[in-house]
Amino acid sequence: MLLHNVFTKTIRDLRWPTFWVALGMGAMTGYFAVLFPTYSKIVDLNSILEKMGPAAKLMGDIGDVSTLVGFLHIELFSMILPALIVTYAAGMASGFTAGEESRGTIDVLLSYPVSRSRLILEKSLAVVLGSVLAAVVVWILGIGGAAASASVLPPDRLAEALFMLVLLGLAFGAVALAISAATGNRAAAIGAAVGLMVVMYLVDALASIVDGLGAVRPLSLFHYYMGNDPLRNGISLTDAGVLAAVAVVFLILSVVIFERRDLAA
Amino acid sequence: MTAAIETHKLTKWYSHRSRGILDVDLVVETGQIFGFLGPNGAGKSTMIRLLLDLIRPTSGSAQVLGLDVHRDRLAIDRRVSYVPGELSLYSELTGRQLLTYLGNLQGGVDAVYRDKLIERLELDPDKRIKSLSRGNKQKVGLVAAFMIRPELLILDEPTAGLDPFIQLEFEHLCEEARTEGRTVFISSHQLPEVEHLCDRVGIIREGRLLAVESIAALKERALRRLEIDFGEPVGVEAFANLPGVRDLTVTDSVLRCTVMGSLDALVKAAARYEVRNLRSIDTSLEEIFMAYYGADDGAAEEVSHAAA
Ligand SMILES: Nc1ncnc2c1ncn2[C@@H]1O[C@H](COP(=O)(O)OP(=O)(O)OP(=O)(O)O)[C@@H](O)[C@H]1O
Ligand SMILES: [Mg+2]
Repeated sequence: MLLHNVFTKTIRDLRWPTFWVALGMGAMTGYFAVLFPTYSKIVDLNSILEKMGPAAKLMGDIGDVSTLVGFLHIELFSMILPALIVTYAAGMASGFTAGEESRGTIDVLLSYPVSRSRLILEKSLAVVLGSVLAAVVVWILGIGGAAASASVLPPDRLAEALFMLVLLGLAFGAVALAISAATGNRAAAIGAAVGLMVVMYLVDALASIVDGLGAVRPLSLFHYYMGNDPLRNGISLTDAGVLAAVAVVFLILSVVIFERRDLAA
Repeated sequence: MTAAIETHKLTKWYSHRSRGILDVDLVVETGQIFGFLGPNGAGKSTMIRLLLDLIRPTSGSAQVLGLDVHRDRLAIDRRVSYVPGELSLYSELTGRQLLTYLGNLQGGVDAVYRDKLIERLELDPDKRIKSLSRGNKQKVGLVAAFMIRPELLILDEPTAGLDPFIQLEFEHLCEEARTEGRTVFISSHQLPEVEHLCDRVGIIREGRLLAVESIAALKERALRRLEIDFGEPVGVEAFANLPGVRDLTVTDSVLRCTVMGSLDALVKAAARYEVRNLRSIDTSLEEIFMAYYGADDGAAEEVSHAAA
């Protein structure tokens, strides 16, 4: 029944959202991988992008879309998958403390031998597991789809890109967690984290065509997520380190803030 | 022996305008059933949530079972249970699932005893909590609190929504706990609800602890309601503003009032007239209680002086 401790109870709470986000991301990836040869036969994707000129750069640093790797990069990994995983991680994390507070269940929960910091850490561990699980589903369906259509999709590169995707989700999830732990307001936390994601995405995308933005580009987490183009080149350890550090710092911040606060009745 | 609860000048301001409790010095000895009484907004829940470390004091300190409520939190949690005033439980779980979860967090509970509690409180444990009525939800909270056999039970208005039969069963549970040397701390705004159950009560009003007394002493220091029949009509002015005299009415030759403390002033004033009869009517505990917290500030002050 998964009712052994806060960690397993959180897995229980997250099971359906995790199922749906995994299925959604996995189905899209599999679908594109299976149908890619058909697409590329009908349309010459590269020539379309050329016609779009600089505007095409808004979709990220593109490269060659006539391969499945380039195609997935632009169609999924630059925007849709990050949006999904960030919404998932931020949505779940923002409810960890704020959800218990607004439902009023925090009083009973904390009257049992569970410390406030353990509450946050065990719940966070559950969303890490959920994100990794979703990434594994995407990997399996992606590799399966590519095999079915006999397209080239290096398994290790896909895993690396998904690793960066998970880190991106967790970084934004930790931001949402910190805001919700500080305010007790779940809606505000989701809103702020998703809003921040959109702004950071735009900053990173616009920076490739607007010169003036170059200076602020390092402030965008998308810069680290996409910078090395992990689907083609693999992981850059510094980029991964930055995302992981953001996640850890905001997690610690959440614990510190939450330990000090008066909890809502 | 260490007290079950001990606070020193415990004060909580939610903001600089919103008063929670003020300078509360309270000692609750172990092995008692203690009633914590006060009207709405008096600060009962504030006091309790401070003891649970859910909110932090502005100043002062609090110990539970001799342990610091913040520093020794987990040690206290293992030995104390709590039913909040506004009880919210995971509504998607059944009662049984919730009790399993909380039992696991506690590190295991006696399942036989838990099932006996379920039976005694007539709880249907296989219904989802969201489908339970208020009273039935409250039963889940009570089973959760009693099943760990805590040394101290902190119950914030625990009987709200319980029918008389279950309320009686709840009282038996409290009495059994006391027999085993455990302590029960119950908040309520109704004295009659707890008067026969509690050994001692504390009365809190507008954040201040006005008095802590045994029920017996509380009854002893009854307010006296007096009726005096005079031989002639008397004016109300002659009795107005006498110390300790309240609720004064004079109709023709009959005076009715409530007296707190000494009767001296009233009797001397009455002696100026022909007194045909003087009756003292026993006051109910409820009236004593109302005098503590229903009264305006001046009267409350008087009461607390009388209590000192
Ligand atoms: N979160 C809060 N923020 C600001 N003020 C608060 C808060 N909680 C309680 N108060 C104030 O503190 C005072 C005491 O409230 P408390 O809930 O402790 O009273 P109570 O005795 O439990 O009342 P009731 O019998 O209605 O449950 C009230 O004046 C209330 O307005
Ligand atoms: Mg209350």
